[in-house]
Amino acid sequence: MMKTRLFILLQIFTLVIASTVGTAQAAVIGTADHFAQQSRADQLIHINALFAKDAVAQHMADMGVNAEDVLARINALSDAELQQLAQNLDDLPAGSGILGVLGALFVVLLVLELLGLSNVFSKL
Amino acid sequence: MALLALLSACATPTPAPPKSGASELEAVPFFPQAQYQCGPAALATVLVHSGVATTPAALVPQVYLPGRQGSLQLELMAAARRAGRIAYTLDTTAQALLAELEAGHPVLVMQNLGLESAPRWHYAVVIGYQPEQQRVVLRSGTQYRKLESWRAFMGSWARAEFWGLVIPPPGELPASSTADAIGPYLAGQEGQLDPAILRAAWEKALARWPQDPDLMFATANARRSAAEPESAAALYRRLLLQAPEHMPARNNFADLLLSTGCRRAAATIIGPAVSVAQRLSPAARDAIISTSAAIANHLSRPSPDPEYCRALIQGLS
Repeated sequence: MMKTRLFILLQIFTLVIASTVGTAQAAVIGTADHFAQQSRADQLIHINALFAKDAVAQHMADMGVNAEDVLARINALSDAELQQLAQNLDDLPAGSGILGVLGALFVVLLVLELLGLSNVFSKL
Repeated sequence: MALLALLSACATPTPAPPKSGASELEAVPFFPQAQYQCGPAALATVLVHSGVATTPAALVPQVYLPGRQGSLQLELMAAARRAGRIAYTLDTTAQALLAELEAGHPVLVMQNLGLESAPRWHYAVVIGYQPEQQRVVLRSGTQYRKLESWRAFMGSWARAEFWGLVIPPPGELPASSTADAIGPYLAGQEGQLDPAILRAAWEKALARWPQDPDLMFATANARRSAAEPESAAALYRRLLLQAPEHMPARNNFADLLLSTGCRRAAATIIGPAVSVAQRLSPAARDAIISTSAAIANHLSRPSPDPEYCRALIQGLS
């Protein structure tokens, strides 16, 4: 009993000495860290997220979102989500809805009508 | 015959309409969409159903992108978090869709109403299914109760990669989630959500999969963060009785024991983790080193542990 305890203590001290270089670490392993298998990839995401944040904020502002809303929206996104938006904000599908479809259809029909190629509206 | 083969080769394969699973969630509210704003309307529909007081107008500044004349999927999920809800992406099968409806969860779906080459992205909320007529019931656009044939709906949903969201009330999980998927998903929400909301989800997941080591670990962590050290300790112990090799649990349990004055019990628990620390992930290794150093520091005082410590680690070595 005493021997195993001594052995454990010895191991502890070895590890402590081996790790004296570096910053103080939290002693508890966070749930997010535990599930993130590749912690190095995660750190990279975190570093890049700092750049992604600026890029997405700028892009949203350019797209007509007002400054206060941009900040709140950026803060609601995780690092991984920011990365994804930074790369694809122009290409990710943006749901706009049925009225948009009808609007586009209406414009096409109107153009055809004005060009005299159709007479959809002549009976109205 | 050859023509038939040719035709079917070009068609998107649609899963056959299920024969059962009749449902219609009539209590789901309806918000007719304004132009381009099916995102805020569909999101308000599911959020209000989950107990959040909101409107499409209140959500427009959170999710609408004027430059795209639409809303992005990621931002719908972020807005759900801002409302204190967890948005779960749906497992992409027809069975999952029906399972959610049966559990009382409307499903926010993305549809592509156009072509693959010229997409028209649309958000709607599936609220029911009619097996006999093979129709899906939706709150969609300006239609309170839109009926779409199974074939048409599945086609438009398939062109949007079967994307769907479920936003259940706090403490409820999607009916279709699995133990393997729920852990990483909830862990990814850490830091983005009120811990109390996340904790309720972890507890619910543990109740559904009581033997899952990582769900035990995460739930014990959440209990400790919620200043409930006793129920956390009991769960760490249960986990280590079942999986003595769960080194992160040893670390966090030892840290908890140390903070409750059980330093010798803490040394017992951390022991096996110390000897394998170098083989673990950097985060786990650093934490174990730090915990064991703190324990070693306290052990220099000779007094024994208080009496209650023994029960906390009973059966463990």
